Amino acid sequence: MSEKPTTFWEKIGKIDYRWLYALSLIFTIIPIIQPLGLPIQVSEGTIGYFNAIDKLKPGSVVAVSFGASLALLDEQEAQYLATWKMLFQRELKVIFYCTYADSPLIIQKHLGSVVKPENYGKKYGVDYVVLPYAPLGEAGEASFAQNIRGVYPNDIYGTPLDQIPMMKNINDQSAIDLVIFMYTSCTDVEWPIRQWVVPYKKPVIVATLGCCGPMAVPYYPTQIQGFLSGSGMGTEIEIVSKNPGPGAMMSDAKNLGILPFILFFILGNISYLGRRFVTKEVKK
Amino acid sequence: MSQLVRKQIPLVICSVLGILMILSYFTPFEVFAQFKGIATNWVVIISAVTVAMGLVYMTNAQIKMYQRNRTPLQLAYVLTTYFFFFAFLISGLAYPGDINSREYQWWFQNIYGNVGATVYAVMFFTLASSAYRTFVVSSIEAVALLLGGMLYTLRQIPLFQVYISWIVPLGEWVLLVPNTAGGRGAVVAAALAALVVGIRTLWGKEVTLEVAS
Repeated sequence: MSEKPTTFWEKIGKIDYRWLYALSLIFTIIPIIQPLGLPIQVSEGTIGYFNAIDKLKPGSVVAVSFGASLALLDEQEAQYLATWKMLFQRELKVIFYCTYADSPLIIQKHLGSVVKPENYGKKYGVDYVVLPYAPLGEAGEASFAQNIRGVYPNDIYGTPLDQIPMMKNINDQSAIDLVIFMYTSCTDVEWPIRQWVVPYKKPVIVATLGCCGPMAVPYYPTQIQGFLSGSGMGTEIEIVSKNPGPGAMMSDAKNLGILPFILFFILGNISYLGRRFVTKEVKK
Repeated sequence: MSQLVRKQIPLVICSVLGILMILSYFTPFEVFAQFKGIATNWVVIISAVTVAMGLVYMTNAQIKMYQRNRTPLQLAYVLTTYFFFFAFLISGLAYPGDINSREYQWWFQNIYGNVGATVYAVMFFTLASSAYRTFVVSSIEAVALLLGGMLYTLRQIPLFQVYISWIVPLGEWVLLVPNTAGGRGAVVAAALAALVVGIRTLWGKEVTLEVAS
């Protein structure tokens, strides 16, 4: 059992964690009940992401490497939904290929009941196609770029790609005009760079978790044209593309939810500095 | 196993495949490009097989854990694992539409999705309490990490964007300049290290290969 804190500095460094948990919960719930609706500033990576899609010519083919995890969906769903809407609002051909086991069910739910491509005048097999889950990894990305049918002979419904009108002249990377790489494992950002950018000079944009953003940034804007990281940039892309979605609520919840964290963070450091410089309990 | 089976044969396979992949990248010959296509397809197939292997390893681990700890609680853990495994398997195969069936979707959305999201949400509390305890400015590196991390985090939160507006350009600068500079240095260093390890592996001199054999 730990000793009871004696000095002021020790006491503020050993506050019961449950206060932190309780405050975090309360501060997260408040904006959900009473939205703050604060304005959001759009960052450079988001603008790059938007422009990469926006400048595509009508009829361009976009390959979406969709590696979404259901467990992490809250962090990225705003990015996904805004991207789908952007793609369907334009005259583009879209190939969604699933690289994570959860992805087929998520994309089917999104396109089935949330975004609904038919509302944008898009038809399955003509304007977009969904390919099933295959455990691609980096080698699979390379294989897909070289021969799509070698990895995915059929679409998600079991229809051979040769029988899908949109896929008639799409066999490999040469038909792809933009790659959107969506992933949840930070180092995976290197996969499209090694397999799409370096050998084929294809433009790539990426969407990932908030914690993975700093690992994607070193490749911007030379190798990747734009990036989204976390729900914050998910909200930004909703704003830039004028497609409101779940990101606004997420950003609102984060507004106050972070405050108890910062408070305890400061208290922890005051405690450390006090014990080090005032009571000299801690040595460097 | 003999040294030939444990070391020499895997080394030859590794070296030959590695050299062929290098040739496919740096030469214009179609035959190497075709080989690359076949080899990368094999990787996808092998990856799919490893999913099934996971079930074998999981069963092995469950049996061993129960053998070590023969208690009703441990048995409950084992049975729970298999209950959910078979529940997902059956709901994914027994109904029309397979994984697109309403039954499978129910399990997926309401059990798998919520459990996964809860696990990640609970991490917030773990991270917050551990940051409170340990993320202190005890060194210059810790101060740099603290400042960079806080600026990156706070820059994304509208409350701070509105009331501390200078945090936006500063956070953006930290992300795009020092982070990019350091990140690119790390990437180049890692790439050079990977090159060295690759050459050593192809040459059969990599230490890990020696240890494994």
